[in-house]
Amino acid sequence: MDTFAQQLVNGLTLGSLYALIAVGYTVVYGIVQLINFAHGEVFMIGAFGALSTYLLLFQGQTSLWILPVMIIGAVIASVATAVIMERVAYRPLRGAPRLAPLITAIGISVFLQEFVRLFYDKIPGTNFPSAKQRIPFPRIEGVTGTAFEAGGVVVQKSALFTIGCLIMCAALLWYFINRTKLGHAMQAVSQDPDTARLMGINVDRIIVVAFALGAALAAIAGVAQGLQNANINFKIGFTAGLKAFTAAVLGGIGNIQGAVVGGLVLGVVEALATQYVPGQFGGSAWKDVWAFALLIIVLVFRPQGLLGAKVVDRA
Amino acid sequence: MRYALPTLSDETRAKHAAKGWPLALLGSALLLVSGLLSWSYDDRILGDISIRFWPVGVQIMAMVLGALGVAFALMDRGPLRRVGNWLDVALGLRALSTGVLVFVALVLAAIATEAGGLVNVNEGGWIALVGALLMFVGSRFVPQRELGQMHSARIPGWAEILVIALSMAAVLFLAAYLLNQDDAWLFVLGLAFIIALSMGLARSGFFTWFGHVAQRHKHVLTLAAFAVAFLFPFTQNGSDANMSIATQVLIFAATAIGLNIVVGLAGLLDLGYIAFLGSGAYIGAMMSNSAFATIGWKPPFLVTMLIGAIVASIFGLIIGSPTLRVSGDYLAIVTLAFGEIFRLAMFNLDGNNGPKLTNGPNGIPGIPDLQIGSFNFGDTHNVFGIPLGRFSNYYFILLLLIGFIILVFTRLNNSRIGRGWVAIREDERAAEAMGVNVFGLKLLAFAGGAFLAGLAGTIKAHQDSAVSPDQYLFLESAFLLAAVVLGGMGTIAGVLIGATILKLMPEKLRFFSEYRLLLFGLLLVLMMRFRPEGLVASRRRQLEFHDEDESLAEEVEDWHLEDVR
Repeated sequence: MDTFAQQLVNGLTLGSLYALIAVGYTVVYGIVQLINFAHGEVFMIGAFGALSTYLLLFQGQTSLWILPVMIIGAVIASVATAVIMERVAYRPLRGAPRLAPLITAIGISVFLQEFVRLFYDKIPGTNFPSAKQRIPFPRIEGVTGTAFEAGGVVVQKSALFTIGCLIMCAALLWYFINRTKLGHAMQAVSQDPDTARLMGINVDRIIVVAFALGAALAAIAGVAQGLQNANINFKIGFTAGLKAFTAAVLGGIGNIQGAVVGGLVLGVVEALATQYVPGQFGGSAWKDVWAFALLIIVLVFRPQGLLGAKVVDRA
Repeated sequence: MRYALPTLSDETRAKHAAKGWPLALLGSALLLVSGLLSWSYDDRILGDISIRFWPVGVQIMAMVLGALGVAFALMDRGPLRRVGNWLDVALGLRALSTGVLVFVALVLAAIATEAGGLVNVNEGGWIALVGALLMFVGSRFVPQRELGQMHSARIPGWAEILVIALSMAAVLFLAAYLLNQDDAWLFVLGLAFIIALSMGLARSGFFTWFGHVAQRHKHVLTLAAFAVAFLFPFTQNGSDANMSIATQVLIFAATAIGLNIVVGLAGLLDLGYIAFLGSGAYIGAMMSNSAFATIGWKPPFLVTMLIGAIVASIFGLIIGSPTLRVSGDYLAIVTLAFGEIFRLAMFNLDGNNGPKLTNGPNGIPGIPDLQIGSFNFGDTHNVFGIPLGRFSNYYFILLLLIGFIILVFTRLNNSRIGRGWVAIREDERAAEAMGVNVFGLKLLAFAGGAFLAGLAGTIKAHQDSAVSPDQYLFLESAFLLAAVVLGGMGTIAGVLIGATILKLMPEKLRFFSEYRLLLFGLLLVLMMRFRPEGLVASRRRQLEFHDEDESLAEEVEDWHLEDVR
């Protein structure tokens, strides 16, 4: 029972991370029907944004109040990346055949990874370490450090932080979507962009907002990832992005609650598979395989996802 | 949306029309003559360009560009005027002169950096620059003429075949010349030359005409292209360095053409295609005579090849089966997930985390060279006194393979199956309503593409003499896709060009290999933005991306009508 509870906690932690990133995929897809393949890179840049803020302002400190500032730095970096990306690469392609934006997205993804790898240590006015190796992520008092035990289950402090982030973000997101004017506008655009435009909604602006919203959550996930793994590198975006996309599809792409649920389910399944798949195919070596296999199975048997009711075949 | 440099208004152009032509002619002539002069005091750079009346390398290039300029000018007014009724000389001259200006500027920059300062530039270089500038300015004022319909332009049949043969010979010569340049500057200048030349020819409509000619003499063109490819190893004097690059290009191109069936013809985006090449390679390795091979059975290579291809196509069927319910972006993600599963599985099957099949991260090294009959691919053979080394042997077998793949591709493309694929690509529901077996054809596309990649993979295993999981990253699939997109989806020539560019550039431009991926990403974005149909676009495809272009639509219509006639 203890092992089960332990794996459940591990899974929920992992799943919270996936869920935070998955929201970005789902929000953008819900509005422009575009798989923003470069979203994983936005997450990676969030982590680097937080790191840069720390290195520039607080080098050597560990107090808790630094964390919000780091998060703000991360959000600024991610949102700026996402907004520029939308403006420069995606907007000109609106209305083009569907293959075009997807290939563009792959291009951006490769470009951003390489950009960080090659130029992170060359930003003028700073002396950041080279991103060609892993970079240690700062330790923050209260959210990193020794784990505590509750009822036979070991819980990392950073895990609590991640789960806490998800709960808070989900609440804020719910409020934003359902209670603000901008949120209503987003819902309208996702239901019917043409009618929304006729009702006086600036659709272009809403699309930018969707990108920015996803980026902000990805940035928070980036900070959480850094705190959990204690280091970051330029490659973290690819796998995390792919997993988060899996989560978004699992929950039903275009559906925000679905993304959260899908993320948590995926995390838990991965953790349980690591523990309970018997024989040589168990263990952490195969967990990614199980996650991707789950994606394929869900797409084949329930393409609308666990919660989604959207029509999949939009192509 | 088209982005162009600011152009002159028609009034200004009409006012100065009389001055433009002589300027352009004079500029081209100056460029032509400049090749005979000395370009630099320094005789150690760019292959000694200091001797008068002894043009080499860049000087010959300048002369060729100048000659083309003169020819264009004489087509506008002068003895070649009749040709000007078909070729858009004004546009050609403008594009050519822009390319020439860049080329000459690059030459001067090369002299300045290599020899230390612009003082080392001799009269030839400056005259070339003046010529390029005159061409550039003059061509802006040359007015465009009313043109005839290109598809009705005819010259005698033997002359058309001669044009094809000459073009192919030029391609062979240029390829051999470029590959033999170890000097990065000469390589870059060679590229600039080719770009200037093809810009001029493309804008003047020469390539359109060439396309019509190629259409009329398809078999001649194919034969000529293969003859050129076959002759290529004989231009290398037994050096294996370039042949190694050439074999890599061929493997890459063979795989990309297989992918082109899936993406270009059937319109199914596959982001895990490298897994099929990988399964072929792994089968080839596991059944080879390597000490690390994990399967005891050692069948003859042709059997291994077939098994590799069949295994790959079984994977293709598996990955294709979700297409029954999933399409579009979702399918792309399924294939991506499949590619990752393949790589992870190859990484894990090392005996600890699964059955011992692949030796995990270490892969299977020490795969011996191919041996078919008494012919060992590792040996050097002498043909007509020219030594052909290990990579040349692989080059020839790959050439055979690629010929086979191209044959399959074109036959499929022109068959009922190919038309079914195009119908599915354009509108799946409509195709189904018309009685096209959508699911079966999709599966066939996946299995067929995978089969071809599997064939290539088995050869690749022997040529690389090792397989390991890190050769089959997602990035490699993205590269394959980029080759298809860059060259032009659904075309053979395009994919060959795309594959060559993507494999050759990083090999030849070592200084650029650090930035290879960065530029690759940028290239994909820019390509989708400005020329989504690829370098060599099939007309239909081009129309899909530019549906507001009325004249293009008419041209496509004419083209198809001609087909019917």
